[in-house]
Amino acid sequence: MKILESAPNRYDLGIRLLTWGRLDAAYDRLASHIGEGQEVLDMGCGTGALTLRAARRGAKVKGIDINPQMLEIARTRIREEKLHGQVALHERGVAELDGEASALYSVVMSGLCLSELSTSEQTFTLGQVYRILKPGGLLLIADEVQPFSLLKRGAHHLMRFPLIILTYLLTQTTTRAVKGIEERIVDAGFLIEGARRSNLESFVELIAVKPQEERP
Amino acid sequence: MSLLCRLTVNIIGTLLRILPMPCPTGVFKIGNPDTTSPVLLTGNYRLTVHRVRRALRGTDCYLLVANSRGINVWCAATGGLLTNHDVISVLKTSGVHERVNHRRVILPQLAAAGVMSGTIHEKTGWRVIWGPVYARDIPAFLSADFKKTRDMSRVNFLWDQRLEMASAWAFPISLVAALLLWGFWPEALWPAVCLIWGTSMMIFLAFPFYAHRLNRGGKRIGFVFFDFGQGALQLFVWGIALLGILFYSVLSGEFTWAATPRWLLLTFILVLVLSIDLTGSTPVFKSGLHEDRYLKVTIDETRCKGIGFCESVCPRDCYELAGKGQTVSMPPAARCVQCGACIVQCPADALFFTHPSGKILDPETVRRFKLNLMGKRLK
Repeated sequence: MKILESAPNRYDLGIRLLTWGRLDAAYDRLASHIGEGQEVLDMGCGTGALTLRAARRGAKVKGIDINPQMLEIARTRIREEKLHGQVALHERGVAELDGEASALYSVVMSGLCLSELSTSEQTFTLGQVYRILKPGGLLLIADEVQPFSLLKRGAHHLMRFPLIILTYLLTQTTTRAVKGIEERIVDAGFLIEGARRSNLESFVELIAVKPQEERP
Repeated sequence: MSLLCRLTVNIIGTLLRILPMPCPTGVFKIGNPDTTSPVLLTGNYRLTVHRVRRALRGTDCYLLVANSRGINVWCAATGGLLTNHDVISVLKTSGVHERVNHRRVILPQLAAAGVMSGTIHEKTGWRVIWGPVYARDIPAFLSADFKKTRDMSRVNFLWDQRLEMASAWAFPISLVAALLLWGFWPEALWPAVCLIWGTSMMIFLAFPFYAHRLNRGGKRIGFVFFDFGQGALQLFVWGIALLGILFYSVLSGEFTWAATPRWLLLTFILVLVLSIDLTGSTPVFKSGLHEDRYLKVTIDETRCKGIGFCESVCPRDCYELAGKGQTVSMPPAARCVQCGACIVQCPADALFFTHPSGKILDPETVRRFKLNLMGKRLK
């Protein structure tokens, strides 16, 4: 049978199940770093979870995502909250970040986006994010990552298995945990200001900053 | 690659064909390519990548594997899972632009339902060339200087593909049936598994004998109040399956009248499940489960400039271009499988879908949402 049905209307539910419902709290904490009037980019904004939080705090947000159906949902939500004056949504992938001006943004956010990318896409994206952030600008990440310890990695896989099946049935998508995310962010030139891993070390909230002075 | 490895990939890939099977994306060297070597692109469905690599043995080129979510190129492209974004991403982030000095990328023709050549060129500078439908034709296509014969652009449903689809259905269904019967009716387990494989093979291998009777509209045939293919064919197959079971039970001496109703029910369910999306499992018919099989490609002759992109991307050879600057026509429109490639690619926006209700799906909607939202939108 042809799997033609992608399911944006069930995406939120599916992802909430896969992340044990901790996603909302994580997004709230990350969004608290955003200030009024700041230029913010939301990479892989999806149905607008982070975009809305940033816009509510008075930021000017640009949301990009490759899924036009998710963007439709995000658009409706933004209109409902009358935030469309501050938000611009574009159907665009991270590969098109090279079209953004340098040192434009105060904050770049990414919720469950890096885990959808291949390793070379992640490297490209982190490099571009470094370029488009102002010195002192923040990179906020919430994503699924591989636990450090072997034991926790095993436990994580065991617990995830039924959830993967359920999420797959609901959304025909799944997420892949990112490997060595902290290292790669540092390699791209950022300093990590704060990191918070879940008990199983499988979910991370990261706050990274582009140093005021250019890297040598 | 060793024979054993090849067999494993092909057998597992075929048995689990209906499930997505992703493999790594990025750029891969085939042979010893240099800066002038051709660049080809495909989706990250393991079986596809394996077969493309095999077809390319002896050719020096670069193979780009784009993220199609582990689904084959055609299904992914028509379902909105292999899009401009995935092609742009692999072109920009894989580093292929540093390896070659040209900007020509060969895409499988079946990706045309989801990937727009104009957009790719505008956003990346790479020019898209639509390659053949089947990987086996790629070497001939390359040596003919990127020229396709008509056969290279057409999908077909030859015996090996039919065998593959029959196994792809039989395996998961016999697995589920075996698990259920093991608990509830163990003595029926092996006969049922044989029945499933036999019936599936019969349905698919006999396809050419009844394909002309499968219709795309909704006509009734004789006294059967269903389409052939959604009723009459199933009844016929059910009859053969019952005969088989009867033969088996009499020969094995296990025939009892008491078990007969159960066999009637079991064979009925199995035949229904096996042929649930018979037409959708073939590349020459639209899926019978989706509303969009009722859509018709319509030509706006005032807009058509006779560019002929439709003719070059149609996998069913539906278009005819009378001459340069003339408008196209679709004499064999009945062959159309509504993949939408022609609508997506037409630079003059001269093609669109119409529903029997008169509702029109304009090119922009088809390009943005592909076919996965259309079924819903029509209701």
